[in-house]
Amino acid sequence: MSLVEISNLNAWYGDKHVLKNINLEIPRNIIFAIMGPSGCGKSTLLRAMNRLLELNPNAKVSGQVKIDGIDVYSDKIDITWVRRQFGMVFQIPNPFPHLSIYDNVAIGPRMNGLVKNKSELDQLVKWALEKAYLWDEVKNDLKKPASMLSGGQQQRLCIARALALKPKIILMDEPTANLDPVAASKIEELMLELKEDYTIVIVTHNPQQAARVSDYVAFLYMGELIEVGETSQVFTRPVHKLTERYVVGKIG
Amino acid sequence: MKSGKIFQISLILFIVTTLTIVVGIVISLINSSYPIFLRHGFGFISRSVWNPIEEDYGILPPLLGTLITSAIAISIATPLAISLAIFASEIIPSRLRSFVNNVSDLMASLPSVIYGLWGLYVLAPILHKYVMLPLHNYLGFIPLFSVKPTPTNLFTAGVLLSIMIIPFASSIIREAYTAIPYNLKEAAYSLGMTRWEVVKTMLGYIRSAIFAGVFLALGRAMGETMAVAMVVGNIMNIPKSIFDMGYTISSLIANQFPNAEAYKYMVPALYGGALILFTVGLIINLIGLHLVRRVMVKS
Repeated sequence: MSLVEISNLNAWYGDKHVLKNINLEIPRNIIFAIMGPSGCGKSTLLRAMNRLLELNPNAKVSGQVKIDGIDVYSDKIDITWVRRQFGMVFQIPNPFPHLSIYDNVAIGPRMNGLVKNKSELDQLVKWALEKAYLWDEVKNDLKKPASMLSGGQQQRLCIARALALKPKIILMDEPTANLDPVAASKIEELMLELKEDYTIVIVTHNPQQAARVSDYVAFLYMGELIEVGETSQVFTRPVHKLTERYVVGKIG
Repeated sequence: MKSGKIFQISLILFIVTTLTIVVGIVISLINSSYPIFLRHGFGFISRSVWNPIEEDYGILPPLLGTLITSAIAISIATPLAISLAIFASEIIPSRLRSFVNNVSDLMASLPSVIYGLWGLYVLAPILHKYVMLPLHNYLGFIPLFSVKPTPTNLFTAGVLLSIMIIPFASSIIREAYTAIPYNLKEAAYSLGMTRWEVVKTMLGYIRSAIFAGVFLALGRAMGETMAVAMVVGNIMNIPKSIFDMGYTISSLIANQFPNAEAYKYMVPALYGGALILFTVGLIINLIGLHLVRRVMVKS
């Protein structure tokens, strides 16, 4: 069974149909890229998975998203449980600027009651920061505000914050779009490392990035899923004309 | 001369004029009040007496009254102002939002004599019957509630003040709350927080604005005159409980100025009260600024 199974997923903003009948399976322990030009529905697809889309009062969703066989849109489900299964990293690094580095990582487990005591929390925070390759840079500054970190560090802190909830999958919404090239390549290295234990879905408008990091890639265009397959396949022998034009940079 | 230059000069002129006026007020406060300090020294602040015949003045009761009514006002207003701000920006449907905000802003701008009139004839009897008498009857052993209440007293003044400053504090908090970047809220929800947990986290993010709102409101409560004068009782005694009738510095000045000039030392005494009110306000503001700055440095 694939980790995530999306079937007949549709989404609207008001009258605007932004995701059109998406069917998609995401296997385990791989990096899955969703690429496409701006406004094609990539970010919406990501937010439809962890039900963050509902924060927008104009958004409407129909269809099914299953994680480990459980439908996240089922009536009986606890929405906070759903969101904990998907760690999320955003386009603009968004640690809570008023909280310390430590508290940024600790706030999720604390609010969700995932740890029993302080030492367990300390361990979890250390583990998450190590996983995000940030521990060595911040271990002496844990009490300092997150806002003092550089953009790349902030993004890795956000990755640590997501990891601390022990999610089943990590969603990354153009995580390097606002970073300098050095910081961006660090994030890409980190993704390859995290793949050992996690499944990562990355949304990108940059086909080169998709080619560099992903194992599978889906091409989304105007709300429709045009093509999906192994990255090497899609980039060397795309089935669809639109995909071919996109990967060589003629659209987008 | 270029128009930019003219603009710059007139700007400087306005700034200098404003500053001169402020400094002038402080100087005249000191200048007009020093006779009373020469006469009574620290006794002017530490004693409770208002005897124009013998020209003996000590304004401890109104000073305490100002502090007590403001403290009551701020402890009621703070949680309610925060709740109102959250309610207005998170809970109510967006169609009603501007209506609620307009009503709240209107409340902030009502003339205070209207609050005073309503406080005297509507609020005071209700508080007396349903809040103060029960508190006194059942919890009268607590010193705070020990005095048998009359409708107008320090407590009534404090509650009325809180109603007056809630919209004021709330609108500052609300502005800050609505200005929270959307992606911070998204981040909070993505961590599996409930709506209430998100609100709590976001309140932490805007805490300097909450401090600012509360301290500005406190400054307003301390200076408020007319409405307080109508419900505080205007009696010169050291309060033994919050149900005692009392005075505040501003209500004292408002009540006594008409006959002050008949006595040699009453005008200086009223100026002395004004100077003390000014100083206390200044200290509160400085503490507030200090708190805000400390929070800002932290984040």
